Amino acid sequence: MLGSASLSVTAAAAIVPTSNGITGTGRQLALSFPSSQKSLLGFVSSNSNLNARSRSTSSFKTAVASVDSNQLSSSSTPPDKQESNKYYFVVANAKFMLDEEEHFQELMFERLRHYGERNKEQDFWLVIEPKFLDKFPDITKRLRRPAVALVSTNGPWITFMKLRLDRVLSGSYEADSREEALASNPTTLEFEKPEKWVAPYPKYEFGWWETFLPTGSKESKV
Amino acid sequence: MAAEMALVKPISKFSSITKPKFGDARAPTCSLRPRVFTIKMSATSEQATTAKKPRKKVNKTAIKETLLTPRFYTTDFDEMETLFNTEINKNLNQDEFVALLQEFKTDYNQTHFVRNKEFKEAADKMEGPLRQIFVEFLERSCTAEFSGFLLYKELGRRLKKTNPVVAEIFSLMSRDEARHAGFLNKGLSDFNLALDLGFLTKARKYTFFKPKFIFYATYLSEKIGYWRYITIYRHLKANPEYQCYPIFKYFENWCQDENRHGDFFSALMKAQPQFLNDWKAKLWSRFFCLSVYVTMYLNDCQRTAFYEGIGLNTKEFDMHVIIETNRTTARIFPAVLDVENPEFKRRLDRMVEINEKLVAVGETQDIGLVKNLKRIPLIAALASELLATYLIPPVESGSVDIAEFETQLVY
Repeated sequence: MLGSASLSVTAAAAIVPTSNGITGTGRQLALSFPSSQKSLLGFVSSNSNLNARSRSTSSFKTAVASVDSNQLSSSSTPPDKQESNKYYFVVANAKFMLDEEEHFQELMFERLRHYGERNKEQDFWLVIEPKFLDKFPDITKRLRRPAVALVSTNGPWITFMKLRLDRVLSGSYEADSREEALASNPTTLEFEKPEKWVAPYPKYEFGWWETFLPTGSKESKV
Repeated sequence: MAAEMALVKPISKFSSITKPKFGDARAPTCSLRPRVFTIKMSATSEQATTAKKPRKKVNKTAIKETLLTPRFYTTDFDEMETLFNTEINKNLNQDEFVALLQEFKTDYNQTHFVRNKEFKEAADKMEGPLRQIFVEFLERSCTAEFSGFLLYKELGRRLKKTNPVVAEIFSLMSRDEARHAGFLNKGLSDFNLALDLGFLTKARKYTFFKPKFIFYATYLSEKIGYWRYITIYRHLKANPEYQCYPIFKYFENWCQDENRHGDFFSALMKAQPQFLNDWKAKLWSRFFCLSVYVTMYLNDCQRTAFYEGIGLNTKEFDMHVIIETNRTTARIFPAVLDVENPEFKRRLDRMVEINEKLVAVGETQDIGLVKNLKRIPLIAALASELLATYLIPPVESGSVDIAEFETQLVY
């Protein structure tokens, strides 16, 4: 299984050199052919070294940030402690994000479960009325408030979430610290009950998103 | 590889014990992923064929007599290769594919499909009609998942050279489908049965769809599959007294796979905007919505016992699934049906009545010619209902990355 997996990853990496598959592939292939794949070995040494990672350019960091999710087979890999300073987001009004799109909640908990299973440090958050929006006047003028952003250091995942949610605006920004990146303005959320609820099941509970608020910003919840 | 293993195991394990018992796997009427959409007046031709061979209540000879080849999909693989050839289409936006590949590689459900002894115990408790309904449900669902496996597997193989990213996604989706099919087939073993997937593969009869139609049809199939699974899951979570077989407990995670598969078809269509941005695309979008919704509604209304057996009102369940699927589909198709217009449901219900009469004609003792004569006015009535439903003023829709109305949107 490993063999076939790494081979197909190679193909992907060959086409999209910035794709996240590279390092995983490099490592796996290098293990299989330690002496003949010099260029791949190069990849391995630069990536297996955490210090080298943190010094690399931001685009390279993006690749690294997403590599972890591909290194599923190597459970011994310690959670990536290095904090990328580039953040990707999708944003829309709170009602859309937290109340109407119930599949969104399912995706969030699925990912959280997955991170738990793989012992991965969480790199995605929900930010209610994020302060970073001040940097995006083009977005804020089209946004109903209160707004909620899904923020992650994993760029491709945010691309996926944009594809899924569609009715969201997206962008990216840099921040020196996590606190700064995920800072929010205090807000009270309130959703009106849907006029007619015809589903043969109850709605997801109000407040499900609290699990995903960045630590320390819980005061912004209701 | 792992995917194939999962598939092969149940076959080799059971095919020696059980002969292929399941015929009529053609129309997964009570499966969770209705995959049958015939192009021309789907409901009519579908029901007409069914009616020709009256299905006596499951009795082994009857099953053998109605042994029809299952409907699997095939497409123009050369055209697919051209569409996604990164050499020819240098501007092909690969970002979404790369993002999806990461999602599929993450493999959220790698360890999800593990059975326990509850399955066999629950199956042993089921008796009489409920047992039959369940067997049929498992069999049809398994066939539907398996048909997805075959199509995706082949696409993964064929696109490997021209677009390795898209090809790998197809392969990973076939992994999911194989897992689902294998899991359902193991469910059948609880009832001392097994679907011979190897036999199905060989006996398959392909429905050919051009790539653009594969996109519309498969997108809808995956998304409607998601809504069916999640609705059943959430309903049973709220009403556990109807939880009569543990497979439903797996649906929450399971259907996230379906939803992601749908997202991939969304990305495929966005990469080929010519399938989304003209008047023809709008007509086809509405047509596929209509065939999928009507096929599901008519099929489910013939199998109310299953839905009632798990505590659902069939029509309410279907309408909920249709409305939600339509709302999802409006994020990509340039036009969708106005399913919340009361006229839509009224016409669906009339089609159910006509269809019941059609089935009744098939069950009479008349000779073939008489039956066919009796069918003519009914088929005409059904066709006119279909057309009228199709012509209900549609809802303009589409992805905000493409749609013209995007500039007016407030997010």
